[in-house]
Amino acid sequence: MRICMVTWEFPPRIVGGIARHCYGLSKALAKKGHEVHLVTLDFPGAPFYEEVDGVKVYRVKVELGHPNFIVWTLLFNHFMEKRIAMINRDVKLDLIHAHDWLTAPASISSKHYLGAPLISTVHSTEVGRAQGLRTPDSYLIDGFEWWLTYESKRVIVASNSMRYEIEEHFHVPSEKIDVIPNAIDIERFQRHVDRVQVRSKYGVGMDEKLILFIGRLVPQKGVEHMIKAVPDVVREHPEARFMIIGEGWSRGYLESLVASMSCGDKVRFVGFLPDQDLVDLTLSADVLVVPSSYEPFGIVALEGMAAGVPVVASNVGGLSEIIEHDKTGVLVYPRNPRSIAWGINRVLSDPAYSSRLIQNAKRKISEIYTWDAVAERTIKVYERSMGG
Amino acid sequence: MSMNGEQIPDEIYFLCMLHNIGATMPEKSLSVDEISIWTAMDPSEVEVNLQKLVKSKYISVNTAEGTKRYYVTTDGIRKVLSMYS
Repeated sequence: MRICMVTWEFPPRIVGGIARHCYGLSKALAKKGHEVHLVTLDFPGAPFYEEVDGVKVYRVKVELGHPNFIVWTLLFNHFMEKRIAMINRDVKLDLIHAHDWLTAPASISSKHYLGAPLISTVHSTEVGRAQGLRTPDSYLIDGFEWWLTYESKRVIVASNSMRYEIEEHFHVPSEKIDVIPNAIDIERFQRHVDRVQVRSKYGVGMDEKLILFIGRLVPQKGVEHMIKAVPDVVREHPEARFMIIGEGWSRGYLESLVASMSCGDKVRFVGFLPDQDLVDLTLSADVLVVPSSYEPFGIVALEGMAAGVPVVASNVGGLSEIIEHDKTGVLVYPRNPRSIAWGINRVLSDPAYSSRLIQNAKRKISEIYTWDAVAERTIKVYERSMGG
Repeated sequence: MSMNGEQIPDEIYFLCMLHNIGATMPEKSLSVDEISIWTAMDPSEVEVNLQKLVKSKYISVNTAEGTKRYYVTTDGIRKVLSMYS
């Protein structure tokens, strides 16, 4: 099959899980002999065209700008659409696969003029991310999301909670939706790291307990609630050190929250880290916390599980489908600092319990969440959409 | 603009505009006057926002023919993307 993957995020343009999802899926599809043409946006230092693990990557140069984000989105979609048309001149594309609303206009137009089926993956929704539609921009984005699901022949989501969300909110017929979970490259986490060296690079000793948060610093990720849990954890485990990795528009607020706390010195903001450093730190941590209040899937929880780190996560969305409480991780109440602190303390206080969680989680990961399995299921969706 | 009860700081909204205009690399950097025209903001207001963003390394400065020109860094781009991703 000749597949055109359309996404606004692809490494090194990484913010959330979409970039890693598109990379993992495209690479697995190419490995199975499919021709994957991936159209994305440019990023400083990245080439406009390259082949990455068998995937043909086209980074579109956006030649026009506009201060309004929605207008800018329409502009870059115009350039993506032109690029897709140019690719189709050389290669007859069999289908378009769009990821989230940001590439909806280019993908929908391409579907119509190429006469190729459109498949979309809805990674999250505006109504979920913003916990309601409170601004004119939110209403517009919500409209784009509905339009994409309406125009798509099939809609892929990563969890049952997302299936219910789009059925309920966009009235997408149930028979049009496929649930295919996310996956990770397990090999990335199957290597030895010098924990002493990695931890000392970030000022954390081996006699301390390293508690990680990895993700975008935005309200839906619940970092604020984890920060408010710090005093309860430190009271029981004075050796606890929290490290917050990632970027986001809430960072200023979160830093001021930490600064106002008496145990603020126990928390460090690291910012964005390249993949290698991220893996090293995950492999060197004692606990990974995923305190989201909204999480359609939660790929970072899988990464923690693969790295052999006990995961403490909110009992919401995809996280409650990935993690079995007391078996493969600890589920806590969302938006509840006391519950988060309880989960962290439970893991830190009982090494035998912690290693049981780790063993169970590793087994589950290697059985279900592989890109090879995701690619197999995605190909079936493609075949179905092409009438096969 | 607010999301989920928290207010997006003015300088982040300003950073988003600068990103959308296309000032994301040194060769596309803009002066205070140019930014002021694009964003329809007063130059003094532009300077206040730029100062904060340069300090937090979301914006870089270069000087061409005696004029300071500004562009969004890769960390700044990631900050903007986090608003909508």
